[in-house]
Amino acid sequence: MLSFLYARQSGLDDPVRLRRAESTRRVLSLELNHNRDVDRIHGNGINTLDIEVIDGRYMLSGGSDGIIVIYDLENNSKKPQYTCKAICTVGRSSRHVHKFSVETVQWYPHDTGMFVSSSSDKTMKVWDTETLKPAEEFQFDGNVYCHHMSPVARKHSLVAVGTKDPKVQLCDLKSGSRIHILQGHRGEILSVRWSPRYDHILATASTDIRVRIWDVRRASGSLFTLDQHNGDKSKASSEAVNTAHNGRVNGLCFTADGLHLLTTGTDDRMRLWNSGTGENTLVNYGKVVNESCKGLKFTVSRGCSPEFVFVPCGSSVAVYGLHSGELITMLRGHYNNVDCCEFHPDYQELYSGGKDCNILAWVPVLRQPGIEDDETNSKRGGTQAAINPAFEDAWSSDVD
Amino acid sequence: MSRKRALIADTFCLTKRRRCAADSVTDGAADIRSSLQYLMTLFSRKLFNDSLPPVVLKHQLYSLHNDKTSVDKQVNELRENGELLMFQLGFDSEAFALVFAEDYRTKVLQGEAGIETLGTVEKFLAKLIPGCSDLSFNKEQMLKEFLFTDPEITQLVKSGVLTVRDAGSWWLSIPNSGKFIKYFIKGRKAVLGMVKKSKYGEILKTELEGRRTTSQVKFQMKYHIHDIMGAELVECIQTTSGTLLRCVDGNVN
Repeated sequence: MLSFLYARQSGLDDPVRLRRAESTRRVLSLELNHNRDVDRIHGNGINTLDIEVIDGRYMLSGGSDGIIVIYDLENNSKKPQYTCKAICTVGRSSRHVHKFSVETVQWYPHDTGMFVSSSSDKTMKVWDTETLKPAEEFQFDGNVYCHHMSPVARKHSLVAVGTKDPKVQLCDLKSGSRIHILQGHRGEILSVRWSPRYDHILATASTDIRVRIWDVRRASGSLFTLDQHNGDKSKASSEAVNTAHNGRVNGLCFTADGLHLLTTGTDDRMRLWNSGTGENTLVNYGKVVNESCKGLKFTVSRGCSPEFVFVPCGSSVAVYGLHSGELITMLRGHYNNVDCCEFHPDYQELYSGGKDCNILAWVPVLRQPGIEDDETNSKRGGTQAAINPAFEDAWSSDVD
Repeated sequence: MSRKRALIADTFCLTKRRRCAADSVTDGAADIRSSLQYLMTLFSRKLFNDSLPPVVLKHQLYSLHNDKTSVDKQVNELRENGELLMFQLGFDSEAFALVFAEDYRTKVLQGEAGIETLGTVEKFLAKLIPGCSDLSFNKEQMLKEFLFTDPEITQLVKSGVLTVRDAGSWWLSIPNSGKFIKYFIKGRKAVLGMVKKSKYGEILKTELEGRRTTSQVKFQMKYHIHDIMGAELVECIQTTSGTLLRCVDGNVN
């Protein structure tokens, strides 16, 4: 650590390198913290979480009971023991609450004045955060499984909606119209995601085991379909040609720079794709247990090197290295299946929610002064004496 | 080495290394070829009266090496060089069989000696082994690229080198491999059953290797253990007494 600080001070290293090194160290030491708690409001499982991008202070959660809750993540009390309080909820007493489970929630990407929620009661509602009343409501024909608003779009405010219908619908928030439809899939759409790099690229995943990439400005169909064998027709049986997985594709996530796309499927595999060419990078993550009937929400870290993927696997969250494919650790703490997880990029914290109605916060373990450090940055074996962390560095060794 | 090129991840211990009994996990410079040769020795030749070349499954390599992506890369390299052949076995879309090209050629020609299809098979092997690394072939490829005629293709199917995939396309296959697949699936189920029936559904790997095999298990125990570990049909946990294999619920093959 001291070597990184000195290198930054003397100009040997880029300033961003120190930041990345510290973020990576923090992500590698994520643990369940007994000081941090999140208020337990939901009576039934939690399906979705979203942290707003502007401040990283407020978190939305949507549950199987139709309730939507907003939490304040910032610790304003001077004590380390802190419970993230629920500031307001759209509960069962509200007139506008969703009738069935809320499948996806998302903050408006540009400010916290608005958020959008979609639910199994076949509606998608656009809420005003001040008054907690829906400003707009879109009705659909089938269960709405997922929706997403582009995080970088300035020119358009389209919401992509995936429902039981094989057609992907684009709803315009400015005009309230929903005439734009993307045709091509043959099964229910389980997950949709806009690219964080280009505001016109959209990826959709469906139960017909295909993932399609669309350019919404084009009138014709999808740009391409992701093929797990990279066009090598000989590997698959002839029906499985041009498919992304061997089972339903139920999770999509772009990396922070938008250059790669991760997909998970019920064939217990996770694949990493080059989002520009659609090529399967063939990184082998091994068996990523996936039994989810509807969409799985997973996330990728931001600002670390190398990046990490956090995937809910049964009742724990698995952490994989993004490009190496190795399993770093399993975060165990939930009592039942984990459905969603969300990464807080500024503090390198992970929030995960599941069927046990708990939202758990995974916080990096701080350096303990005067205690043998064998979890944090130590190249040597754990036999060093208690050293003041200010004198620790990454290059000297006590052994010789 | 320039500072900028040093990986940040090298500075930090990526995993907590437990002090446990050293196992058969070889890391560092992974030598796939020696692992393949080791696994081939576990294959029981006498069982098939020497008519099959030694067959290894690709996921058995995952149980010996940590990094699956580099294992895949090295296997593909060996296939490009023409030293290794890969086959799609019918029972699982992810299970691939690997055979050394030389072994395959000797066994196939040995099996064909004295039968009239020998000439066609020789021609096919000559085309296949140096260059082609496909798993399946379709009709145009066979007719135009390899210049085979229809009756010749029928002869190849009869000899067992090709199996029908669907109308107009064929998988590359190992002759007489039906018995192998049957014994393999039976043996896998029996070994998984042994793990499941143990107390608490878990058993030490060394103990499992020492157990007597039932009549269902025709191959060597170690062969099956590498298979179930690599295919992640059991959870492998490192303990201070060695590797523990724990049965994963809901995974009956």
